Amino acid sequence: MNGYGGNILRVNLTTGKIAKEPTPPELARDFLGGRGFGAYFLFQEVPQGADPLGPENKLIISSGPLSGLLIPGAGKCDFACKSPLTGGYAGASLGGHLTAEIKYAGLDSIILEGISPKPVYLFIDDDRIELRDAASLWGKGAITVEKALKDQLGEEFQIACVGPGAENGVRYAHINHDYGRQAGRGGVGTVMGAKKVKALAIRGTRAIPVADLDAYRRAARNLYDACKQSELLKPWQNLGTTMVVSWCDEVGALPTRNFSAGSFEGGKTLYGPVMREQIVVTDKGCFGCPSPCGKYSRTKRYGTNVEGPEYETIGMIGSNLGIANIEDVAQINFLCDEWGVDTISAGGAIAWAMECYEKGILTKAETGGLDLKFGNVEAVLTLIPQIAKREGLGALLAEGTRRAARALGKGSEKFAIEVKGMEQSAYATHSATAMLLAYMTADVGAHHNRAWAITYDLQVGRELVNADKVARVIWLQHIRPMFDTLGACRLQWVELNIDLELYPPALAAITGVERSWRDLELVSERIWNLTRMYWVREVPGFGRAWDMPPQRFYAEPPKTGVTAGKITSLDDVNKLLDLYYEQRGWDANGLPKPETLKRLGLDKLVA
Amino acid sequence: MSARLHALGILKAYLGGKNEVVVETGNTVRETIRALDIPPEIVALVLVNDTPQSKEYRVQDGDVVTLMAVVGGG
Amino acid sequence: MLRLYAESAKCSGCRACLVACSLNLFQENNPKKAALAILAHFPTPGTYEVKVCTQCGECAAVCPTGAIKQNARGAYYVDFAECTLCEACVPVCPENVMFVRAELAPAAWKCDLCGDCVAVCGTDVLRIGEIEAKA
Repeated sequence: MNGYGGNILRVNLTTGKIAKEPTPPELARDFLGGRGFGAYFLFQEVPQGADPLGPENKLIISSGPLSGLLIPGAGKCDFACKSPLTGGYAGASLGGHLTAEIKYAGLDSIILEGISPKPVYLFIDDDRIELRDAASLWGKGAITVEKALKDQLGEEFQIACVGPGAENGVRYAHINHDYGRQAGRGGVGTVMGAKKVKALAIRGTRAIPVADLDAYRRAARNLYDACKQSELLKPWQNLGTTMVVSWCDEVGALPTRNFSAGSFEGGKTLYGPVMREQIVVTDKGCFGCPSPCGKYSRTKRYGTNVEGPEYETIGMIGSNLGIANIEDVAQINFLCDEWGVDTISAGGAIAWAMECYEKGILTKAETGGLDLKFGNVEAVLTLIPQIAKREGLGALLAEGTRRAARALGKGSEKFAIEVKGMEQSAYATHSATAMLLAYMTADVGAHHNRAWAITYDLQVGRELVNADKVARVIWLQHIRPMFDTLGACRLQWVELNIDLELYPPALAAITGVERSWRDLELVSERIWNLTRMYWVREVPGFGRAWDMPPQRFYAEPPKTGVTAGKITSLDDVNKLLDLYYEQRGWDANGLPKPETLKRLGLDKLVA
Repeated sequence: MSARLHALGILKAYLGGKNEVVVETGNTVRETIRALDIPPEIVALVLVNDTPQSKEYRVQDGDVVTLMAVVGGG
Repeated sequence: MLRLYAESAKCSGCRACLVACSLNLFQENNPKKAALAILAHFPTPGTYEVKVCTQCGECAAVCPTGAIKQNARGAYYVDFAECTLCEACVPVCPENVMFVRAELAPAAWKCDLCGDCVAVCGTDVLRIGEIEAKA
């Protein structure tokens, strides 16, 4: 099949059986690839009520039809499973070079099933596919393991591996690749660890077939030319996502001390140009990327190397923990990478614990003697390994903020900053209603990947609540995840401002199938409704309450910063949801109506 | 005494589709962009002669000021 | 006389150049069949090193069948029909960018200076320029 690896690989870890089946053409037609394949296989194959950490859950690793081709940023890999953090849909996106290698090995999706009786790693060298003993790697850090496997197997192998956090069941463990790229969110690494799979090592040497080679080469060149001609290219290459730090601080969107404010008095020392000057060594890009956002850094104080910190990490373990030194943030980032935990969720959970401590809800006895005040770097450096090992206070925080707050109680639920059980990523949304709605309705929990709308909020009026804003969020929720479905990066469009219409000719030349953006948006809407139905199926009583934001964003206006005194009202929160459900064709409780499912061709699948 | 101001990406719309306008010197970047009816809060990055500067930077003769918005975050 | 130059410090390891190269040499999407190389030095020191052909001609000088010829741009290229996979060219290449992988291609391959890699590099690592006289 043109544009595809052509096969789905199933690895039953319980029995050791390894089997390939051809990628069904109708699956490619209806769900395209990447995120679409992940959502489909999850819904179709993981039985209702499966334990996320049990043998029935599956980890579905998918490339898309653009992955591995000469397309800007065609290095996106989708990881889907039932989330051990939220109990609903988990879909995490990984950059780097893994997805390209999956295609060169003649594969589209790798589905890990069952649980291995002992630690293994999955070795794929074209058609030679084996489960290999990983006893010597178990317990080791993710960066260490990647290096060890590369040394042993050779640089051509692409590695994805988990750290001790995943082995020990931290509910937000990540999967590491390319020394600092992660499938970070929702506990996809936790599921890999539960399956006793320490790593994947993959090499493919095959060509990806394309339908019209000349047209593809022309379309590819047009895409690269557009990126290289963009005036936005140089500033973006210089700073990557850290460009946003100063701006978020200025507009009150930089999470500060557990999202109690949106501006940080110590923010200036975290700004992108400061980081560039002080610690960045190399610009690091994903596969085929002309505009690398990755900033590889070396800290003088700690003598460690780390990819990043990128914006989310700076927000979540910098300002949100009251930490104002970029070297400290980089070191905490390094520990999270090596120990195998998501920086966003870890930052969220620790910020919650710090607020508990400052309010006297957690005592020094309960923190194991840690003086867990905001800004205490040493305490955070101590806590990351504790979380990964589930030791002391780390055992509570490894459960994620929602579970931890419910276990601790004492009013701490009020400042648990999560939606659907996923810690909110690094945009403070006290007064930015489109972004607030984006977090409320993202299909994995409070993550910015699906829609990002703060600039739009500022352009049209940050407190405004109307149908246009809601339509904007829905449009973004279709366009942005489409890139994760195609297996390429959205940032060339988003940040370099290249024309979206450059993509359909490339996709048509590659796959031989003409698809307009209108058609692609419909596929995205299909996937969106399928992941929604997954929540409906898996979570008893699922509905509107699961889309509510943390109370802090409608009841506690910040006391400091540019958003001081500003807050979205509960009425407006409800109005946002009403408008959103109406435009989506969902009922007042947020469940897709039968006619919506029918229009999207999902009625039989979800029946 | 004048400087040039470049707006990139979505900010071009605020210059009536023009890439570049001539601006007065002596004002801060913030004052300058307000005068052009560009909301300062949507400008994420200010480069003066290719070097990042704050919006309080005072525009000098011969400066090339480049403004960039952030459209997508991470 | 022209050759390809690489400024490794600017490389971000994306490998677009490798895919563009394989599309030119073999009309295939397959970076394993590219005629330049990116060596990644991670996690320490965290740098990329780009290896490119200098068009020094050592390979052509040792080729027993005369399969390595010069094209109109003055670049040495492999005439696939005349290559016998003897591998004589591989060890003499000072940059390790003379490739023989019999499992992937029935002939040796090397850079023919098509310039497609330069066209897709977003960080200006690569350029084609006059060969500078040796000091």
